[in-house]
Amino acid sequence: MSEPVLNEDQRDALQEVANLAMGQAATRLARLLDAFIELSVPRVKVVKVSEAAQALRQMTGIEDTVSAVRQGFRSDIKGEALVICRSDSIEQLCALVSDPYSRSAYEAVSQTELVFDVANVLTGACVSCILDQLGRTPVFSAPGLLGEAMTLDEVFQPGVLQWEVALLVEVNFALEDQSFRAHLVMLMAEESIRHMNGALDALLSSL
Amino acid sequence: MSLPIVIADDSLLARKVLTKALPPDWEVDVSYASNGREALALYREGKASVMFLDLTMPDMTGYQVLEALQHEDLNTFVIVVSADVQPMAQSRVRALGAVAFIAKPVTPEAVLPILKEYGLYV
Repeated sequence: MSEPVLNEDQRDALQEVANLAMGQAATRLARLLDAFIELSVPRVKVVKVSEAAQALRQMTGIEDTVSAVRQGFRSDIKGEALVICRSDSIEQLCALVSDPYSRSAYEAVSQTELVFDVANVLTGACVSCILDQLGRTPVFSAPGLLGEAMTLDEVFQPGVLQWEVALLVEVNFALEDQSFRAHLVMLMAEESIRHMNGALDALLSSL
Repeated sequence: MSLPIVIADDSLLARKVLTKALPPDWEVDVSYASNGREALALYREGKASVMFLDLTMPDMTGYQVLEALQHEDLNTFVIVVSADVQPMAQSRVRALGAVAFIAKPVTPEAVLPILKEYGLYV
């Protein structure tokens, strides 16, 4: 398989498209968490799925375990979106949003719920907004938990996710003193990345 | 005489979209910056009677540029152009001296009333 690539103009365009999507996602996340979200520049990178764990580790420095939620999206650009959060940052976020006096057996449940909420906001806002700017209206399947307390290698182990190309979009949401990091990965077939390249070229030539 | 303006955004796509959203007959001399530091340098060279400023940029964010400008003579109209549409982002940049806030993606319809309001385009 040839290396999936974006040229510099396409990468720049996709980064700006992701930036707009992040703004939408942050607004929804700010409402969900009742906090001001500081945004950073999203970084985008296209790699083979077999190299995704290593590439994500390099981009983010994640060595610890993560929670991952998967959700399929369909248009002529189709694939699966993964939202990956560090397990300890989910704990922090949970402490931030839940009542500190009601710690109980429900805490584990609510952490999973929170991961789903965050994943929903990110996938819904980011993937929809990215594809919308490329002239596509995706249809989503129901989200599913890939796992909690997994290593990145376990997330991307061969045979679990049947895609060839991974589009890594690093979105970094900082909440006041806390830094909560979430990572969005769009997994696609090679054909879809070609459609995406075409859509980015169309966007660039429309200017 | 042409009005010197600066368009500051790390994305080439965003700089193009913004350039296209300006009135076609507006007599301006456009300089481009791809980070906050370049934007500030262009301001100091007198090339920014108007500055279109993105917030999320590497090497000085838009917020940092606004803060730095407050220590200068602030002889510019800063129009923030950002994808960050949280209401608090808008109030923060206004508190830092920006005259207006435009949500991305920028359209000519969003730019024109602001230029007219401040007498920058007649």
